[in-house]
Amino acid sequence: MEKFRVLVIDDEIDFVETIVKRLRDRGLEAEGALSGPEGLQILENKDFDVIVLDVKMPRMNGIETLREIKKKKPLVEVIMLTGHGSVESGIQGLQLGAFNYVMKPVPLNELLKQMTQAYERKLIEEDRLNR
Amino acid sequence: MKIEKLLYFGLPGLILLASIPLYFSDQLTLAVIAMFLSGLSAIQTWKLVQGNEAPEIKNNGEHTFSCQNQIFSSVDQLSAGIAHEINNPLGIIAQEVQWLRHILKSDKVAGSVDPKELEDCEDSLKEISRQVDRCNEIVQKLLSLARQVEPVIQEVEANDIVLSVLDIVSREAKGANIIVDAQLDDDLPPISTDPPLMRQAVLNLLVNARQAVEKDGSICVFTRKSGADFVEIEIRDSGCGIAPENLGRVFTPFFSTKPEGKGTGLGLAICRGIIERLGGEISVSSDLGKFTAFTIKLPVGRKANRSLSL
Repeated sequence: MEKFRVLVIDDEIDFVETIVKRLRDRGLEAEGALSGPEGLQILENKDFDVIVLDVKMPRMNGIETLREIKKKKPLVEVIMLTGHGSVESGIQGLQLGAFNYVMKPVPLNELLKQMTQAYERKLIEEDRLNR
Repeated sequence: MKIEKLLYFGLPGLILLASIPLYFSDQLTLAVIAMFLSGLSAIQTWKLVQGNEAPEIKNNGEHTFSCQNQIFSSVDQLSAGIAHEINNPLGIIAQEVQWLRHILKSDKVAGSVDPKELEDCEDSLKEISRQVDRCNEIVQKLLSLARQVEPVIQEVEANDIVLSVLDIVSREAKGANIIVDAQLDDDLPPISTDPPLMRQAVLNLLVNARQAVEKDGSICVFTRKSGADFVEIEIRDSGCGIAPENLGRVFTPFFSTKPEGKGTGLGLAICRGIIERLGGEISVSSDLGKFTAFTIKLPVGRKANRSLSL
């Protein structure tokens, strides 16, 4: 079983705490952030493989955060998660390099499947760069 | 032959006409070169017309067009080349707008200009900025047409790709009384594709379908096997349909039948580019006023990737 590192960025504290706990219970290294800027700050000092990112957040929304993440860490894979997603933000997210754009509520098993595929993609890209 | 097609042959015709006076004024070499160029130009134009504008007609009146990528790649490269040239001046305009805003905010200017005129200037700069953003968006789309980024191929389920993007579109479609349905084959082999690129392509086609239907209609997505080596995803809408003469042009950059200002005419060209890069094919069938169906054909997975389990 391969372990990977996940950062969850969402302004709903209950959601972040629950998902981080569940991911840690499954042996993954998980951390949470309650805003875009906080997530970016954490990324300055630590590497992650997959980021789960809420779209609708105050101050800096998910799309703006995604743009900054991809500037800082282009190889990290991002799964956008939203309760009130629009087609426009979905298209924008995918164009900016998100791995997927998933509507809430999403069953944990489905989210884990997406994260695993996203991590697999990161490994392929890293392999390619090291060749 | 249609007048439109005759116009296509205008350039080789003009070169040929130009060669006649050269021939009679003893410029034989130039005349021969002009005739040769005219011939070459006519052959290329004929290939373009044949390949790009000849949808196949079925017995029931339905028209089908399947992409042949050799025609589009040069158009894509040309579009991206123009976009690249426009990118720099756009950046400078945006920068100068920022600078003007800064000057307008200074006390010296604010104290000496009529406040109403100052407000007009700010509104004007806001509009310039908005239009620059619009141009930037088009430029980025054009650049993506010819971007030679190597896709990251993974083995995934075609149904998963469809369901993830269908969810985004269905919520908005419900408000316009559009029924969004999926008839998916549960027994499909995994496909070899770049999942985010594929999602982008399918989402683009669904958005197109949603716009074609407008309201009170239906969109249905089908998945099925196509022989042993391919899987098909079909997106069918009950919208206005596409006129047969336009069918061969829908994948060309900037071709659009939408009213001016509504869409850039790049969505389907980008879709086609993505599918071609992923080793697939895209085709379109339509019956005007009845339906349009876009079909993506993708290769099934050939290698088991690094397996990961939780």
